[in-house]
Amino acid sequence: MCAFVSINGVGLNDLLERASQLSDKLHSLSTSLTNDLDSHFPPLGRVMMPRPSMCHTSSLQIPNDKDQALKVPEDELLSLARSLLLAWSDPLTLLSSEASSLAHPERNSINSKTKELQDNINSLGAGLEHVVHKMGSSSDNLSSLPFPISTLGQDKTSRLVNFHFLLSCFRRDSHKIDSFLKVLRCRAAKRPEMC
Amino acid sequence: MRNSGAVLILTFITNLISQAAGVSSPGKPRLTSCRSPDKETFTCWWEPADDGGLPTTYALYYHLENSETVYECPDYRTAGENSCFFDKNDTSLWVNYNITVVATNALGKNISEPEEVDVVYIVQPNTPENVTAAVYDEGQGPFVKVTWEKPRNADTRSGWITLLYQLRIKQEKDKEWENYDAGLQKFYNVFSLHPGKEYMVQVRCKPDHGFWSEWTQTSYVTMPDYIPRERSLWII
Repeated sequence: MCAFVSINGVGLNDLLERASQLSDKLHSLSTSLTNDLDSHFPPLGRVMMPRPSMCHTSSLQIPNDKDQALKVPEDELLSLARSLLLAWSDPLTLLSSEASSLAHPERNSINSKTKELQDNINSLGAGLEHVVHKMGSSSDNLSSLPFPISTLGQDKTSRLVNFHFLLSCFRRDSHKIDSFLKVLRCRAAKRPEMC
Repeated sequence: MRNSGAVLILTFITNLISQAAGVSSPGKPRLTSCRSPDKETFTCWWEPADDGGLPTTYALYYHLENSETVYECPDYRTAGENSCFFDKNDTSLWVNYNITVVATNALGKNISEPEEVDVVYIVQPNTPENVTAAVYDEGQGPFVKVTWEKPRNADTRSGWITLLYQLRIKQEKDKEWENYDAGLQKFYNVFSLHPGKEYMVQVRCKPDHGFWSEWTQTSYVTMPDYIPRERSLWII
């Protein structure tokens, strides 16, 4: 939460170090949330779950292997991470408002982890603003990935299924964000032997 | 109709003959695991079931989540028997591979349960390399410095994969290992070991999100037979 307080005078390498610590945390949290949900999930729910290609961010063109990712210029890689992060702002607000009333025995843990996710994406978003500033990127071409959904559903099963679906989309996207930021971190690293 | 009746009778006769001969169509094969050592390639392994007493062949098929196109395994050789290796060109991240294995013999075929795999969730690195364990003394009493290198196929330099290391150490007679987390570092200094004793050391690594590697082969190191500093006053 406080990772980006007192930001002035911090080098790009340190900023990226902190950013990748947060993105690492985001992905680990989403994995832990997925495990919580999986611990009690109706078999029918798995059948009802939409395909991953239905994720609202799946239209974003991203490098999907190492060779492609390493060819992408730094400011573009950063824009991709920021676009993804931005795209999750609204859905995470929705998840956060639904978590406490989820029909799931691990509801409390799911609720507090979802809140933590939300805090973390906010502070990572703020941190990446500083990185953009520090990198002196001229272009700021963020992709817009609208999320037109305002409710997870009417009955408790579809709410649970849609919660799980959104989370699995986020889990994948947080892994992309983390991978891109860690590549950026190593490019900026003062001590490359740590990479 | 006459045709299908004939086929039915033929199938019946074939079944009778094959039962008499003790042969049958193959059992259902099982996909056992898929692993990526480097976040760049991956391998899947399967377990053949009963071959029905006949020569049986296995084929692995897959399709990606966003496509209907079915492909056959690109490489059955590289990773050994009952496996399929996907090289860089056949590996994409953040997309589910839907994978099945089909066993076929002269009497029929059997298909495994399908598995869904996203390569980013199956990363398990190879073991660290060139582990050394040696005794150093920089004035505060001897200690063991353990060093190692990353598994050579893991591209940590570019940041594409991030590896964390752990080592463990014990005497031959000890039951329990003592674990130490080294983080991203590729060395670790172990203090307060007993003088004159031989220790066993192993190292393993884990990606930031994924599974631990196997432990390395044991390296041995013997502490010198010195008088520990805190006791030296006593003896004087």
